[in-house]
This record gives sequence, C-alpha cells and structure tokens, in this order.
Amino acid sequence: MMVAALEKLGGGLTVGSKAVSEFIVLVAETMSEMLRPPFRWRDWLRQLHFVANQSLPIVLFCVCFAAMVTILESSFHMKMVIQNDSMVPGFASMLILRELAAVVTALLLTSRVGAGMTAEVGTMKITEQIEALQMLGIRPVQFLVVPRLIACVLGATILTLLASLVCLWAAQLVSEFYLGFTPALFLTAMRRFVSFQDLLFAGIKGACFGAVIPLVSCYFGFRCQSGAEGVGAATTRSVVTSSVAIIVIDFVLSFLFSFTY
Amino acid sequence: MKSEAKVGLLFVIAIVGIAAFAYFLGILNPFSNSRSLNIMYNFAGGIEEGSPVRVMGIKVGKVRKIEFTPDYKSPAGEEVKLKVVIDVDKKAWTSIRKDSKYFINLAGVIGEKFLEISPGSLDSGELAAGDYVRGEDPPRIDQLISQSYGLAGKIIELVEKNEGKVSNVIAQMDKLVTNVNKTLVLLDKTSKNKDVSRLVDNAIKISDDMAYLTGQLRTKKAEDTYALVHKLLFRLENLDGPAIKKFLQEEGIKAKLF
Repeated sequence: MMVAALEKLGGGLTVGSKAVSEFIVLVAETMSEMLRPPFRWRDWLRQLHFVANQSLPIVLFCVCFAAMVTILESSFHMKMVIQNDSMVPGFASMLILRELAAVVTALLLTSRVGAGMTAEVGTMKITEQIEALQMLGIRPVQFLVVPRLIACVLGATILTLLASLVCLWAAQLVSEFYLGFTPALFLTAMRRFVSFQDLLFAGIKGACFGAVIPLVSCYFGFRCQSGAEGVGAATTRSVVTSSVAIIVIDFVLSFLFSFTY
Repeated sequence: MKSEAKVGLLFVIAIVGIAAFAYFLGILNPFSNSRSLNIMYNFAGGIEEGSPVRVMGIKVGKVRKIEFTPDYKSPAGEEVKLKVVIDVDKKAWTSIRKDSKYFINLAGVIGEKFLEISPGSLDSGELAAGDYVRGEDPPRIDQLISQSYGLAGKIIELVEKNEGKVSNVIAQMDKLVTNVNKTLVLLDKTSKNKDVSRLVDNAIKISDDMAYLTGQLRTKKAEDTYALVHKLLFRLENLDGPAIKKFLQEEGIKAKLF
C-alpha cells in the first residue's frame, strides 16, 4: 500500500519534471530560433492579424461588461461601507488598469487563440506534417512557434492597452449614466489614483501573458497524442494550463510591481 | 483592406489611445498654456509632484517638480532648502501678485495635499514667470503633538504635586453644591406654602394701594390742600397757650349750649 503510494508519487514527479524540462527546452529553443534567420515577416503579420485584429471585438465586448460590473459593484460597496462613492471612479479605474483588463484579455486570448494553436499544431503533429517540415529542412520551432510567439506578445500587449482604455471609457459612460458622475468628476477622481505607469504595467502584463499562451499551446500541440481524442485532450490541457499560468504570473507580476509604488 | 493594413491601423489606434490617456491624466499636454513659479519652503508637509495648485480654491495647475536646494539663500538672506516648481494656468496667472501667500493645505476624505495660493492685492505688481517666492511653511503636526504631550505631562505633574489641595478643593466644592441644593429645596417648599402666598398677595395689594395713594398725593387737589394746611399752621403759630385755651373754652361753652 505504502510502496504503491510512493511509486505513484515518484511516477508523478518524474512525469512532471520531464514535462517541465521539456517545456524549458522548448522555451530556450524558441528564444534562440527567434534570433536566427530566416525571419518570416509574412507569417508574423498573418498571426498578428489572427491574434490582435480578429480577437479585438470579442475582447472589447467582454472587458466593457467587466468594467461595468466593476464600477457598479464598487459603487454599491462604497455606498454600503462609507455612504459615499465619490472615490469610486478612481479606484475602479485603478483596478481596471492594474488587473481586470490584462487578465480578462489574456484569458479570452487563451480560449480563442491558445486553443486554436494547440489544435493546429496538434493536428500537424498527428498527421506527421511536423516530420515532413523537418525533412524539408525547416525547423518546426522556427516555423511554428516563433511567429506565434511574436504575434501573441505584440498582439496581447496592444489588445491589453486597447482593452484598458476602452474599459475605462465604458466605466466612465456607466458612471455618467447610472451613478451621476460627470466626465470631469470621473477624470478628477481617476487622476487622484491612476498614474501613467499603471497603463505601462498593464502593457507589460499583457506581453507576459501573451508569451505564455503560444509557448504552452505549442508545447501541448507538439506532445499531442494521435487521434481526434488526442487533439481534444491536448487542447483542454493547453487551455487549462495557460489559464492557471496566467493567473499565477499575474500574482507574481502584481507582487513585483507593488515594490515600485 | 489587406490584413497588414488592418494590423497597422490597430497599432496606430493603440498609440493614439495611449497618447489620449496621457493627455487626460495631464502628463502629456502639447497645448500647454501655463507658466511656472518657484516656491521655496523649509517644510512642505507631504506635498508631491502632481499635487494640485489652487488659486482661491480653484484648481489652476499642479506641482511639476520638487528639488532640494541646500545652498539657496533668499534675497532677504534666509536659507530655504526646498524648491517646489509649480505650473499655473495663464488665466489665473494675473491673480497671483507679489504679496500672494502660498499655503500647503489638506482636502478631501483621503487627505489629499494641495498648494493654495491666496490672491494678492491689485496694487502690488505681477510676478514674472520663473520667479522665486517664499511659501508659508505649514504647521508641523508632529511638533504640535509633541508640544501637547509636554502640556499633558505638566498638567499631570501639577495635579500629582497638589493632590491633597486639589482633593480638598473638590471636597469643599462638593459641600458647597450640597448646601446650595438644600437652599434651593427650601426655597421651592416655601414658594408653595399657603401662608406665604397669602402674605405675598397682601404685600402686592398694599403696594398697589400705596401706589394709588402716592399717585393721589401728587394731584392738584392735594397740592391745594397742602397750601391751605400750611396757611392755617402759619396763622395758628401766633397764638399762644392762654389764647388758645380761652378760645377753646369759649367755643366749648358754645358747643355745650347747642
């Protein structure tokens, strides 16, 4: 009984450490391939269009609703606690800039872009297209991961910045029509708390989350088991891992940024 | 539109958005319309870069920079060690005069610090952009607290030194209050006594009568009576004892006859 449990634990650890080391190898390989020619500009742009432009409507739509909920809830809570919500635009904007916009955007990108990437790479893997690429002398990481990584980092950064700004605008509109703050009042309260570096940090967070998505997705794509079932499992695992990684990295980054305030 | 163009458009929109954000936060302002002023302090009470500047309570600018100037001496020869550079909107600039005063104040529920400029008088001249002026150092709350600690200590000392006397004074005061209370109770009882109220009623009636009487005494008729009495007395004065006796005797007889 005891031995069996230990065996299970050891087996799990071995598999885990192997997975981690393989992931690190993939990351290192991607980094080194990124600096080596040929640079596939067209691929980068095509991926960027897929990641940024095509995700834009859904991202903006979702973050707007998140912003509305945030500002209405904060107002409700502040009215409950101190019977005054004059500071709500200030700290709601801060919450939007520092957390909400970046995380919501990243999670949406994971489910839209990450899942697609895993499925695509996984299908290529099980249909032996990756081996075919290798036979043609094309390095799969250079061909598949690098364009996606660059596109995702740039796209997620831009999307996060845009989402933050649109989010603030949505919050302003809601506070004007439901809470009675004029735009000037909103701006005054916002300026009291928000500084430009908040937007900068949102961009940095976006870039980090953007890096996580293609690396995790391609990693699970490369390890995809054969069959439709394998692709499905790989996609599920990829989305779950990316989401968890994004939330953990969000905590780490917030903790690191807290030293600069 | 080609996908490359769409990607490019997205980036342009993002950059414009960031610039707009910076503009709304007041960091980036290409249409700046302000002048700067250097205010010198020895203690600036927690003001920060970006804190608002107000003239007569209206926001007209903000603190741009705070510098330490250990070797600065004002024209009056005073060493002032802190320079606060502020930007003031042009429309409020002419309200700031050479005799304006520069205070550091607190506002709002979260205790935000701001720089308040009192408007100067019209007679004193305008300042030039970049002038050096001396600000009013805000009261040091920490000093105030330490002083009040000292005061509290002294009060405690005083009380402890004169403990016997103080308790004696308190005991005396207590007795005094008790006595006053008793007196008040007695007074209350007295005012409700029937005899006393009758007495008071009578006193009121008597005083009314007296008032009527004295009023009557001051009339014309009364004055005539006084004069008559006076005349009579004057005439009677000449009469001596025997004459009166004779007169009375005669009158007495007459009286007996009737």
